[in-house]
Amino acid sequence: MEHCEVLSKKVIEFKPPVYEQRYYFVKNLVNQHGHKKIADLGFGDATLLWMLKYHRCVQYLVGVDIAAKPFEWGGGRLSPGVGSYIIPRELDLTITLYRGSAVQKDSRLCGFDLITCIELIEHLDSEDLAKFPEVVFGYFSPGMVVISTPNSEFNPLFPASTFRDPDHRFEWNRKQFQMWALDVAKLYHYSVEFSGVGDPPAGAEHVGYCTQIGVFQKNSTKPTELSISEPEEHVYEVVYTTSYPSLQQSKYFRFTLSIEAVKAIDLMKSRFLRGPRRKEGDRVVPLGSCTPQHGLTEAQRAEIEQSPKPYSVGEKFYVPLERLLAYPKVNRLVAGSTEKLRTVLAEGLRLNGDQTAVQVELVDYHTQRLFDEHLVSPALES
Amino acid sequence: MSGRARVRARGMARSPSAAEAGRTRAPPSPTSVDTGNNEASSTSSFVGTSRKSQSCQDVVSSGDAGCTFTERGGKIRRDFKDLSVCTREKLAHVRDCKRGSSGVPVKLVTNLFSLDLPLDWQLYQYHVAYVPDIESRRLRIALLYSHKVLSNKAKAFDGVVLFLSQKLEAKVTELSSETSRGDTVRMTLTLTGELPASSPVCTQVFSIIFRKILKKLAMYQIGRNFYKPSEPVEIPQHKLSLWPGFAISVSQFESRLLFTADVSYKVLRNETVLEFMAGICQETGMSCFTQMCEKQLLGLIVLTRYNNKTYRIDDIDWSVKPTHTFRKKDGTEVTYVDYYKQQYDITISDLNQPVLVSLLKSKRNDSTEARVAHLIPELCFLTGLTRQATSDFQLMKAVAGETRLSPMGRQQRLARLADDIQRNKDARFELETWGLHFGCQMSLTGRVLPSEKLLMQDLVCQPGSAAEWSKDMRNCKILSARSLNKWLIICSNRDEKVTEDFLHCLRRVGSSMGFNVDYPKTIKVQENPAAFLSALQRHVDPNVQLVMCILPSYQKSYYDSIKKYLSSVCPVPSQCALTRTLNRQGMAMSIATRIAMQMACKLGGELWAVEIPLKSLMVVGIDVCKDEFNKGMVVVGFVASTNPGITRWFSRCILQRATTDVADCLKVFMTGALNRWHRHNRGLPARVVVYRDGVGDGQLQTLLEYEVPQLLSSVTEASSNTSAKLSVIVVRKKCIPRFFTEGNRSVQNPPLGTVVDSEATRPEWYDFYLISQAAGQGTVTPTHYNVIYDDNGLKPDHMQRLTFKLCHLYYNWPGLISIPAPCQYAHKLTFLVAQSIHKEPSLELANSLFYL
Repeated sequence: MEHCEVLSKKVIEFKPPVYEQRYYFVKNLVNQHGHKKIADLGFGDATLLWMLKYHRCVQYLVGVDIAAKPFEWGGGRLSPGVGSYIIPRELDLTITLYRGSAVQKDSRLCGFDLITCIELIEHLDSEDLAKFPEVVFGYFSPGMVVISTPNSEFNPLFPASTFRDPDHRFEWNRKQFQMWALDVAKLYHYSVEFSGVGDPPAGAEHVGYCTQIGVFQKNSTKPTELSISEPEEHVYEVVYTTSYPSLQQSKYFRFTLSIEAVKAIDLMKSRFLRGPRRKEGDRVVPLGSCTPQHGLTEAQRAEIEQSPKPYSVGEKFYVPLERLLAYPKVNRLVAGSTEKLRTVLAEGLRLNGDQTAVQVELVDYHTQRLFDEHLVSPALES
Repeated sequence: MSGRARVRARGMARSPSAAEAGRTRAPPSPTSVDTGNNEASSTSSFVGTSRKSQSCQDVVSSGDAGCTFTERGGKIRRDFKDLSVCTREKLAHVRDCKRGSSGVPVKLVTNLFSLDLPLDWQLYQYHVAYVPDIESRRLRIALLYSHKVLSNKAKAFDGVVLFLSQKLEAKVTELSSETSRGDTVRMTLTLTGELPASSPVCTQVFSIIFRKILKKLAMYQIGRNFYKPSEPVEIPQHKLSLWPGFAISVSQFESRLLFTADVSYKVLRNETVLEFMAGICQETGMSCFTQMCEKQLLGLIVLTRYNNKTYRIDDIDWSVKPTHTFRKKDGTEVTYVDYYKQQYDITISDLNQPVLVSLLKSKRNDSTEARVAHLIPELCFLTGLTRQATSDFQLMKAVAGETRLSPMGRQQRLARLADDIQRNKDARFELETWGLHFGCQMSLTGRVLPSEKLLMQDLVCQPGSAAEWSKDMRNCKILSARSLNKWLIICSNRDEKVTEDFLHCLRRVGSSMGFNVDYPKTIKVQENPAAFLSALQRHVDPNVQLVMCILPSYQKSYYDSIKKYLSSVCPVPSQCALTRTLNRQGMAMSIATRIAMQMACKLGGELWAVEIPLKSLMVVGIDVCKDEFNKGMVVVGFVASTNPGITRWFSRCILQRATTDVADCLKVFMTGALNRWHRHNRGLPARVVVYRDGVGDGQLQTLLEYEVPQLLSSVTEASSNTSAKLSVIVVRKKCIPRFFTEGNRSVQNPPLGTVVDSEATRPEWYDFYLISQAAGQGTVTPTHYNVIYDDNGLKPDHMQRLTFKLCHLYYNWPGLISIPAPCQYAHKLTFLVAQSIHKEPSLELANSLFYL
């Protein structure tokens, strides 16, 4: 599908390459509209899906390809990386790949916000091409469809004058594509806008973009009758599925919040230990500021300084929950709720008796084992 | 990193064409639709296979000079390299049998699984040539794999070398495939080797197969291990999460091919490099901020948040900010901020941070230009535990608490893994196509060595438990002690009472163990490190036998300045203790006992002994570790016994510039030890047995070629007539096998003194495993001993028993330990130097265990 770049290399070089431009075209649309459920028909090597998985708004990503093989799919770059576990996404994300054809109906593809068919239709024979609109527009009926296909008017600029790929059944000029698209749009109540990627070289502007793209938007947003009344049809075969850790899952939420709290506490503790202190009853309180310098605006720091101060009693260090709540990252996670902060932190950290502050050890244990020369068993030494 | 390398990195980083934003890009290849990211692609099983078989190439090429693939990258695993060092064949006395005989046989369950192959099984290696030549590895693989001749065959291919488990009909096979552009490509497969299952190449191919299988079981590969991210253990107090998983390998053991699996945890730190830097800034202030950052960060491995790759930090470029631009591969310029927003939907919040620079390993040998990646600190995580973190007692306790597994717990996980492998359809299919059969968990027979008696001053004692005999020693007199007459105690003004109470206990326990402690001169000082140091400078003179410091707080500077001053400037043995420790309720006597024993040793005393049947035997322990501050320096510790009873020691230590862990000064140390022995015993030792610890993977050959000759030459040069016989034993605390005893429908740790010298050992080595320490609640790790040089010709049984005896002689712990005492002494010495002194301790202290 990607050979226009190869053939055009000697004559026309696109920067970035046209296939990348096509993907960025889709990415921009997703940024604009904040699509939640996206399907890519004919996902090929899944590069577009991989690029889309980084969007924060996306929650369901589906790929369908007739050549998807179950055994070759280790998931690779579509599976969550270590980083996705350390900093979980805000929203859930599930990625599923199916083996199936764009001209087969499968009810699991209904109700999407966006369906992309990048360099797909030119691979369909006339019979399939005829079925295609009914399946994608009529049955799947997503909020938006993006279809890209080669613009044959551009072909004379390439050295070889045949199709760009031997598997192409046709390559349309702009008029052919637009007529087809307008017919489809009219029939299924979509509006369509035409665009493209791959600018023609200077002097040849009249041929238009290398790749022509139609962006179809559904006229009515209310769910179609069809997708509700028709029975479930599962003809696609699942070849791969994965889901990402996210803050919507309590396990990851709790851990992320605890980590943010501990980070704030650690910095406070280290400033507390280094700065001047005063004894007030059984408490030792900091005299000066106890706010870390880094990563906060003046205003944020001032707000933190106004909240209840941390203190120590004996070898324990206490940070009031109100204080933690003044830290923007912590605040955002619990949406300002002390009650939520208390409940969640109580599961992973230690709170004081009346549940108003987090309690940690004041002592810096880094060097304890050096000092306690005589108490260290050899199991700890090695 | 060396200064030169940093300059190089800096130079590169500034050249715009070489700058990349944290990614490596392969040159565009004809059908590549990769956007340039270097992650595992959709064809991950191809890539997975080929990456590994690429690493086979070095092995293959050594026996197959005609092949062209030697130039291509790929390193052989270091531990596999050690396995090709055949030391046993040179040791005539163990060529036929390396097994011991004493002790009671014990049946042990292992974490080893048998892998069975048909008797006539062979691996066929082919070289694949393409006409026209194709550069893209991915395309080469796709073209070959799509051919129907190979479609149902088990295969591993990296683009050049193909491995099959079934032979093709002809020696040379011509195939042709069509690219999606319609070009015809001819591929010529030439048989270059038929390898038996025992060949190291096969072992590597088997490893590849198992990696593929574990990925099928939804496990996540990091390094060589596989983890389950779905079941993390979280320790928020320390900003850590742990992933449970397995370290696996396939290799040829004593008599057969075995699959091994051990439970392993991956430690992930939830701390970005930017947060780490902010912490440094807060602690050190701005004045030496950049310097401290470089000191602490360079050389660390970081993980990027977005693409799941790890990089080494080679430099920090303070002149580049996230708002600066870099040139992408396609020639367009983009700022780091925009790039990460566009590509990954990540907003960089700190626009003033510098960038981290990582030199990329060149994948192709023809690329002359080293490439670098620029990384944003905010988007990089620290991985693993820093040495600072590993010395954090609380943190390590928390990690140990979560990761400690009883033998039963471990056994259950192993059983589950084996079950998963056997039940998974894909896994079974993969094994079957290769002709492999995954068998059952292996059992073997070990022996429990007879327990040792302790020799005290006036009695011989059989300890109730060899794990810890402090109770048995109560009211026993230690072997010998010098009386402590002239000594100092330095304490803070506030701690006078604590000190007094402690002194009372110390004198009491001292007299009952035969160690006479007189009253010291007590000096009270202000509560700061400088005050302690100046007190030392004023009051310590060479006549002082020992200085004790009662420290009011945990600040490391107290300890470091005291140890530094008293180990090198004014060499006098010293003893530190924390007020907090001395104040512990109800522990006063036992703490005083332990301190008294340490003090006795520091004055050259001897606590206990075991019976050593060999007369005139010197044992030596060597350990190596990296200096905490100077990353380019290593500390080598050398500790040798100086009497036949093995109760007195000669300890030397040196800091040396080295990039490897291999000791460079052994000849001088060995000669020094022999002189010392000669002076004390009027003659040279008849035998010298050296235990070498701190050996890294892949260093065995170097040890053999470099260290053994050094030791040997000082032993031969020491005497003109009959020189001492030398043995060198490599000690490894980390090893793959685990052993359990079965009973009561559960499994337990084997008894202390269990030796394994068959099945789980290696045919090419004279090696054995010994379990000499108690593990408490966890699973015990056996220590692996590999005798790489042996003139002494001791029977294997004697070698094993000697090693076990030596594990009883560490005076800092009244009980058995996991390695021979001289190694543990050497370790303790290097640790003190690397952590606190950073200098060679004075030679005057060499005759006492001043570092305990």
